[in-house]
Amino acid sequence: MLKSKLKFTTALAVLAVAGSAALAGEVYGPFPITEKSYSGDKTNSVSYSGQVARHVLHDSLKALAYKGDGGHNAAALEAQMLAYFNGSDEDLPIIAPTSKDGFPIKQTTVNEISKGKNISGKFYKGAMPAWPGNKSGLDVMLQMISMAAASEQGYDAVNGFDYGQLISKFTLGAMPYSQAVDNYLDEKLAADNKPNDKPYKDGAYYTGKEHVWDEAFGYFGAAAHSVNLDPNQNYGVAKRKDLAAADANGDGVVDLKTEYVFGPAYYAAGADKGGTKSTDYMGTIFGAFRDGRALIASADGAALTSEQRAQLVGYAATIESAWEQVLAEAAFKYAGSVYKDINTLKSGEDQDKALRAYVKHWGELKGFTMALQTGKSNLGATAFDLNWLVGFGPAMLDGKMVSDIDADGNVIRGREMSLEDYQVNMLKVQKLLKDTFGLKSLANDATADLAALADKLGATEAAETD
Amino acid sequence: MQQIPALFADFSNPKKRVFFGYLLLAVALALVWLVAARGRSWRAAFVEVFDKRVFFSRSALADYQIFLLNRVFTLFISPVLVSQLAIATALFYALHDVPWVRQGQFSHLPTGWVVAIFTTVLFFVDDLSKYLLHRWMHRWPLLWAIHKVHHSAETMTPITVYRVHPLEGVLYAMRGALAQGTTMAICLYLFGSKVDLYTVVGVNVLSFAFHVTGSNLRHSHVAIRYWAWLEHLLISPAQHQVHHSTAREHHDKNFGAAFAVWDWAFGSLHLSERDRKLTFGLPAKEASATNVLDIYLRPFADMARVVHRRMKRLASRWRGSQT
Repeated sequence: MLKSKLKFTTALAVLAVAGSAALAGEVYGPFPITEKSYSGDKTNSVSYSGQVARHVLHDSLKALAYKGDGGHNAAALEAQMLAYFNGSDEDLPIIAPTSKDGFPIKQTTVNEISKGKNISGKFYKGAMPAWPGNKSGLDVMLQMISMAAASEQGYDAVNGFDYGQLISKFTLGAMPYSQAVDNYLDEKLAADNKPNDKPYKDGAYYTGKEHVWDEAFGYFGAAAHSVNLDPNQNYGVAKRKDLAAADANGDGVVDLKTEYVFGPAYYAAGADKGGTKSTDYMGTIFGAFRDGRALIASADGAALTSEQRAQLVGYAATIESAWEQVLAEAAFKYAGSVYKDINTLKSGEDQDKALRAYVKHWGELKGFTMALQTGKSNLGATAFDLNWLVGFGPAMLDGKMVSDIDADGNVIRGREMSLEDYQVNMLKVQKLLKDTFGLKSLANDATADLAALADKLGATEAAETD
Repeated sequence: MQQIPALFADFSNPKKRVFFGYLLLAVALALVWLVAARGRSWRAAFVEVFDKRVFFSRSALADYQIFLLNRVFTLFISPVLVSQLAIATALFYALHDVPWVRQGQFSHLPTGWVVAIFTTVLFFVDDLSKYLLHRWMHRWPLLWAIHKVHHSAETMTPITVYRVHPLEGVLYAMRGALAQGTTMAICLYLFGSKVDLYTVVGVNVLSFAFHVTGSNLRHSHVAIRYWAWLEHLLISPAQHQVHHSTAREHHDKNFGAAFAVWDWAFGSLHLSERDRKLTFGLPAKEASATNVLDIYLRPFADMARVVHRRMKRLASRWRGSQT
């Protein structure tokens, strides 16, 4: 009896170990120390807290964009926003995400995550033709911050700007996406750039390639265990609603460094959660990151062979293309929202509320179309068409939209655009995004009903003659 | 060889008139009609319905060959035709520029209403477009050259519905795409995503009703008639047989498919006549009833002749205007 009990317990223990080993294989890390020059006591070579700090700076900056009181606090608010954008010598309090009932967060200041970080140093500095004034991406952001600080709660009902949305969605491209796909997963994968047989920097416990890869993963913003969560759970973590899903180590608090889901990963899960539910962007991107990291670890601190590097570049290409699709899916979804909002606006019901929703969704649409233009590849004619169709501002009820912002920051509304024509533009935006990026989730597809009905009717019934 | 089941797929497809269920119902209807309305015995009715002089006439044998050949053509032609989705999408875009309606304007109506409206409108528009195209096929010489193939049948069976030139199949498919695409776009624009179709076995409930009430008997020798008032609203099998009649007074009458109201409104209605013996077909100089090669090729020669005649007339007019 005792013997059989023992056998049963052993079997259970083996199962438990095997089970946890299988799960551990799925999450991002820990990965062993392979850097030969390191002699300290660390056992995990994964490190991307700098990227987490930048996500927190971004979330806080977005929250600050809604703190304007119509101009009185403009100077102070702009200085405060710039502190989060440019970084500060002081330890900045985390404004978002913060603890709330049922969702305690471990860190309360940025330095608790990582010291000396900023957004501006990693911000896209190429041309940004989606915004008036022939500015660089960085200058566009500085202008948006200045306009947000002077606004009434981040909202401009005349021109149709929601600064928090514009700042946030543009940044989702211009910092994490741009850095990951156009820097870490691009030139930094070259053989002679941050090689794997040297520490990332003197004294580091991780190799060059290990850290390059980790930083790119950090920019994606997934929790280390996001791959084991379904899209609803990842969404729930980002919305601070699902402590059970977030708290992977069961210590009762959410560690922003490893247990929280930030912007880019949140939108990957969002695309999987909505629309046709036929996509797995989170699994695709996360899986490529994890498999790439395992490949680097398997080199055990030696320089990567050309075969290994080619495989790594393959993972990077998977990540880049799926990440681009995630941004395009989000733009697609908000183009659909804008389309529907115009119906509500025209119905005349609760005009102020309808306009507020319209401007919010337009800000998200505009921000994501700008984000798409900060990647590795030049979108060329697609970018031109997107920028023309979406415009510099939404079509407003008076049939006009923003055409320029002059040197003094005055917004000029000189382009004629009826709400009806703008609705057609939104249909064209959806078609353009769907065709260009091969989208599949297609949330808020404004012409999905047409396709579904055509499918249902079929062609067979109609062809009968007499 | 793998395509052979596809050739006969229409018999198992409830969207098609020759679906075996509809054919069985047509036989039942014909028998009951002959016994109840015409006083035949069941045996006599049975012999009359399955008259081998009809089903094995040389004209009917040509029908069967054309049926098979057209199935093969359809496999090649269907994929290149403009779809109703392309038409619907273009119109849906264009509707945004109509100032007095907005998208989703009637989307607050109850779903049941919306589905009923769409189902009915779709059937009416489809039927009207069939009437119009059919009428043009008789009135315009260029189209009559094609449509003659159908009217060259000297005996009629349910398979005669397939006795059409492939070009007519193309025209009807385009008509269907236009009618359905237009209705879809307008209804979706006005009613939003509540738009749907009431169906039975996957078929528009009204098409289903049309088929289970004997649509297959339109092409047959069983002349089921309706009351005169009903023949003003719905085309009876006997009325469609009048449409195929060689009698001069029956020419260009009863173009309608399901509804007779179009014929009534546009002056082409002809009620059925009790015990009138009809003959079907065309003179040999117009079209062959039995020579399949002639059936397929003659329309091209006839169309060329029509075009040539038109060109000559245009040229002489132009010369006349010069002098």
